[in-house]
Amino acid sequence: MNREALFIERAGQVGVTVIAVGTLDEAVERAVELCRERRVQRAALWDAPEMAPIRAGLRAEGVEILDPRGSFETLAHAEIGITGADWGVAETGTIVLASGPGQPQAASLLPPLHLAVLRADRIVPDLATLLELCGPLPSALVFITGPSRSADIGLVPVLGAHGPTAVTVLLVAG
Amino acid sequence: MPDRPTRIDLIRNIERALRDESLQRQMGKAMPASRKARADAAAELPEWESLRSAAAEIKDHVLANLESYLGQLESQVRALGGVVHWASDAAEARVIITDLARSRGVRRIVKSKSMTTEEIFLNPALESAGASVVETDLGEYVVQLAGERPSHLIAPVVHKPTGEISDLFVKKLGVPRYERPEDLARVAREVLRAEFLAAEMGITGVNFAIAETGTLVIVENEGNARLTTARPRIHVAVMGIEKVLPRLADLSVFLRILARSGTGQRSSVYVSLLTGRRRVGETDGPEELHLVILDNGRRRLLADPDLRGALRCIRCGACQNECPVYQHAGGHAYGSVYAGPIGAVLTPAYEGLEQARDLPFASTLCRACADVCPVKIDLPGMLVELRARAVRTGLAPRRDRMLVGAWTFFTRSPARFVLAGSLGRLAQRLLARGGKIERLPYPLSGWTAHRTAPLLASRPFRKRWKPPQEGPQ
Ligand code: SF4
Repeated sequence: MNREALFIERAGQVGVTVIAVGTLDEAVERAVELCRERRVQRAALWDAPEMAPIRAGLRAEGVEILDPRGSFETLAHAEIGITGADWGVAETGTIVLASGPGQPQAASLLPPLHLAVLRADRIVPDLATLLELCGPLPSALVFITGPSRSADIGLVPVLGAHGPTAVTVLLVAG
Repeated sequence: MPDRPTRIDLIRNIERALRDESLQRQMGKAMPASRKARADAAAELPEWESLRSAAAEIKDHVLANLESYLGQLESQVRALGGVVHWASDAAEARVIITDLARSRGVRRIVKSKSMTTEEIFLNPALESAGASVVETDLGEYVVQLAGERPSHLIAPVVHKPTGEISDLFVKKLGVPRYERPEDLARVAREVLRAEFLAAEMGITGVNFAIAETGTLVIVENEGNARLTTARPRIHVAVMGIEKVLPRLADLSVFLRILARSGTGQRSSVYVSLLTGRRRVGETDGPEELHLVILDNGRRRLLADPDLRGALRCIRCGACQNECPVYQHAGGHAYGSVYAGPIGAVLTPAYEGLEQARDLPFASTLCRACADVCPVKIDLPGMLVELRARAVRTGLAPRRDRMLVGAWTFFTRSPARFVLAGSLGRLAQRLLARGGKIERLPYPLSGWTAHRTAPLLASRPFRKRWKPPQEGPQ
């Protein structure tokens, strides 16, 4: 199995929805669709070049875009957080997010739905490869493997313990 | 405030646990499921055994060069704008952290799950310094509401059935009675979200600290540690000296074995690599970062060649899930923060063998713990060593010394062994009723406290056994 297929399989096994798209334009379409389905009114978007078309698409739909540099309180009102993903790890179905100015952790943590845009050529086979490649570390590098979960109460797995209930990855062909 | 007022009465605790039907039911459900999850996750990796060896080797290398890696970690964290505090014991750590809270006017604190802060009894100290402290891991939150302590490394509230949690939420939070775990989790999420937004200080443990980069690594499933470190203005991370790893590259081995051993996941949901405080232009992460590095008996353990291997522990909880004693006794019976096989080693080592003299005996030495430990700690060997120390220092119970003395006497020679058999057969004529013995006299009375004793055969094996005919091969 190639990296991309393994990533899709493993991410699926931990409850991540992976949507493979051919181009960034297609990714924009799917993001807009998803927000429409979920009746999203407010979205927290990372400030990144590849986010610009998605931002424009959502604005055209009438979705309010919250300033990613805004406060935690404000971003907590978003129904969806849309971020990039710097890497994907095939073995575990993990996405890796580096935080930075305009790219707060809040966007992948506070809203009930997290949508991440990952380029297929950023998928590495395993953790060891990632740690070799990831370069100088940002203030927070977060590995995300599925939606927030807990089995503390009654040993029953519950999603969305503190973070998102659902994670969707838009996998853009490399 | 004495950290450990009295000797741990393990036997009484276990007797109580065995009578606790809801505990037995909970453990009976949880432990087999955890064991299966771990076994499946380990079996998936053909390189599992070599990962365990690699992890043990890295840890041993760190322990052999501990001070130099700690020094490197300190200077890296400082270079990133963090402050490093050294605490030689629990009391010192409490003073450091409460002073930080007081001097910065902190009134509200959120915490994510950390055994190290349990170990130093941090919460009561912060509360008496006038701050509110809220545990934000779902299980720890329940434990805190109930006024209890966690009973398992990974599943702190494994001892509590859902119905009790429903009642607890009604009583403490004034909410309607919810039965379903997802509703209870939602209630807790809402209460805790507000706490995150209001807190000025976040306190976390550390799973791994990378000396090379000054990175603190925190592993979790819920996202509460991310919130604890991303939102409050001040982050205080508390770690034992043994948590340091040399290089970033070392992390992959440990992340792979930790999640698989603890919960059977390929990876935990969130692994945060935190390198320094908030940077220019960023809107989350702490403005102030404090790292408290705790000794609290660890350097003494490090100097003990027979037991130092216990410092490899990554707190995965696998040895607990596997242990036939822990499964029935539950975590609270061990009377300390660390339960199960690793607790039976760490508690006597940290708190003194006098306080915890029974703990090393709470094992069948079946080696199940050693078979699963991802860093290959020889837990049974350490328990035997601690037993020997208890005997040498006169701490072993009188009964045990009498029994071992008698055993030693009667097994010295064949004649004495035969004598023992004859005496036994004589005695059982007086004691046996209906082919079994209901009650043995002291010092053997423990044997028949919960079961009957079998009878010695009327004709010993020695007399029945015919040696095989010697003949040409
Ligand atoms: S002793 Fe080994 S098995 Fe037990 S918690 Fe520590 S690392 Fe896990």
